[in-house]
Amino acid sequence: MLYFDHSATTPIHPDVLKLLREIESSRFGNPSSSHHFGQQSRLCIEHSRKQVAKTLRCSTNEIIFTGGGTEANNLVLWNIMYQKNKHVITSSIEHPSVLNVLKRLTKFGVSSTIIPVDGNCRVDPDDVKRAITSETGLISIMFANNEVGTIQPISEIGKIAEENGIQFHSDTVQVPGKLSVDASKLKIDLMSFSAHKFYGPKGVGVLYVKKGIKLNSLIVGGGQEKNLRAGTENISGIAGMGLAMELAENNLKERTSHFIELTKLFKQKMKKICPRLLYNGHPDFLLPGVISATFPGVTNNFFIIKLDLQGIAVSSGSACSSGTVAPSHVLKAMKLSNDHNARTLRISFGQDNTEEDVCMLIEKLSEILKQHSM
Amino acid sequence: MSKKVIVGMSGGVDSSVAAFLLKKKGFEVECLFMKNWEDDEYCPAEEDYNDALQVCNSLNLPLHSVNFSREYQARVFADFLDEYRSGRTPNPDVFCNKEIKFKVFLDYALELGANFIVTGHYARIKHYGDRFHLLKGKDIKKDQSYFLYLLGQKELEHSLFPLGEMNKTEVRRLAKNAHLKTYKKKDSTGICFIGEQNFNQFLKKNIKPKPGDIITINGELTGSHDGLMYYTIGQRKGIGVGGGFGKKEAPWYVAEKDLVKNQLIIVQGNDHPALYSKTLKAVDLHWIHSIPKNGSNSITAKIRYRQNDQNCSLVFDKQNSVHVQFEKDQFAVTPGQSIVFYEGDECLGGGIIESRVCS
Repeated sequence: MLYFDHSATTPIHPDVLKLLREIESSRFGNPSSSHHFGQQSRLCIEHSRKQVAKTLRCSTNEIIFTGGGTEANNLVLWNIMYQKNKHVITSSIEHPSVLNVLKRLTKFGVSSTIIPVDGNCRVDPDDVKRAITSETGLISIMFANNEVGTIQPISEIGKIAEENGIQFHSDTVQVPGKLSVDASKLKIDLMSFSAHKFYGPKGVGVLYVKKGIKLNSLIVGGGQEKNLRAGTENISGIAGMGLAMELAENNLKERTSHFIELTKLFKQKMKKICPRLLYNGHPDFLLPGVISATFPGVTNNFFIIKLDLQGIAVSSGSACSSGTVAPSHVLKAMKLSNDHNARTLRISFGQDNTEEDVCMLIEKLSEILKQHSM
Repeated sequence: MSKKVIVGMSGGVDSSVAAFLLKKKGFEVECLFMKNWEDDEYCPAEEDYNDALQVCNSLNLPLHSVNFSREYQARVFADFLDEYRSGRTPNPDVFCNKEIKFKVFLDYALELGANFIVTGHYARIKHYGDRFHLLKGKDIKKDQSYFLYLLGQKELEHSLFPLGEMNKTEVRRLAKNAHLKTYKKKDSTGICFIGEQNFNQFLKKNIKPKPGDIITINGELTGSHDGLMYYTIGQRKGIGVGGGFGKKEAPWYVAEKDLVKNQLIIVQGNDHPALYSKTLKAVDLHWIHSIPKNGSNSITAKIRYRQNDQNCSLVFDKQNSVHVQFEKDQFAVTPGQSIVFYEGDECLGGGIIESRVCS
């Protein structure tokens, strides 16, 4: 079995799994309880908060644990309801947990400007600047795209947001384990993370909230997480995420150069097998380990099924909840034709993928290409 | 058997080090986190509790937590609002110590079997001549005896202030060396329940503002105010009158609040005589161990926290009140604030400033 869909999710790191089991079997106290059992659980959560804050180079007070990346994005976007200025600037390549929330928010008087991207899937900061009105209360642009891996001009956009006194949120879900996030240097007010993208458990995430930014909770109840995320904490998940984030930051350089090697190998070999193969995304600003490739003649659906039958997992783009292959809104935003769209595969490497794995993938891809052209 | 102490943990560096020191001295130490305030919008308590918990965990000390917000509301906050309503400027921290930390908390700790409570205050307790005495903290810049003048014999008998002989730099260094999480945590400033909120907005939420006129001491109308509670005697900013009004270009200051007419009375220049007084009347007097002699001339006083000691003499009258005659003019004597009396390093007690006599 070979897995090349790490942008959709990653397997859990064995050390994280060990920690999850330990905590699930020993730490059952409610962190809000004042007795020993509660205190032990609370200590687990605060330990994780320290690990996350250290990795992101921010203060522990700026870390809010959520039920995942989607929830973190929702928390940010729904907060526009409490703001005076109800106009949001975002991009056409955002995750549905941004774009669909904005669609919903139009019912409540929130308007938005959706910035297009160029053929390399990159937002032009000047477009963001031009979209600002006196009503703009939030800019939300993802750090790196999940389907093609293009890294956005976040520093420039952050500067623009700061100059105009507008909150800046970035969906940074794809970033940990691939690039370092230094909150002390980036001009980002809010960042969303999801543990399962970096070998942590599912159903747990982080919202980084820069000091001074005031939010209201989306989920209302017992006032946990500084009153920003009610509900008894997912102790093992939170603890697992803290460890996973720390591990993702360790050996980051080695891991990214490994991803770059694997990508190089893939492109070299494929050049001989399929010279007409096209690569999507920005040539320079690209997440290491993410390949979006458009094949001549064969649909991605066909590839996915054929490879799956042989125990190899790739995807067409973002994972869809129905499990079917839908045309990608990201490729569409890049002005690629529906035909091009339907022939595009995403291969996303993980830390356990080896050169042999890549050679095996290429072998299978070339078999499918050959069968199809016969 | 070793003595049992309960440390009041605030989640700050001072109480962390207090706990650390008592443990090192061989006491049986337990810690107690007090939550004294409930607020939907502003609650720093979660963060402070987390810090207290992590410090206790690293020192391997048990932590209890308790909510005294009902007592705080009834015994401190209600009076705080009443004082503001009557145009005075109260000092709730003094009453928090008297009513909560050294009453509710102390009783609670004694009930839990403690011999002493421990706090991170910068002050010293000495026992001699059969009496307990309260002395200034060794670190004169941090000395907190001003806030403790309402303590009595029982409270001092059952309290320990391990930081009294130390200075803040030493405290932070100890905390760092002991790997206490709070070693570089910022000192809390301002009134605990207001925290980082805007003070005037906080007042506005709790007391209905009553707008009125601003007039000069000569009776000229210069503008309007949003409510006398937003102003303090001696205040310069926020009067809304520039230096240009009047003859000189000097800034304007609040000299008086006329509650009957709901007027704010201002004067120009910080040397205006209406801002100064040499005599004041203080009421609700409290003495830590004994009443000083009438006319005693070795007594000094502070009319606000961190003020240098001011030479003065006391003349008592029949109703628990005193006339304080200062050697030098005092700027902005503010009704509602505490006046605290000293003899050298010793805090004798104090009272509430009722009124002043202008120079």
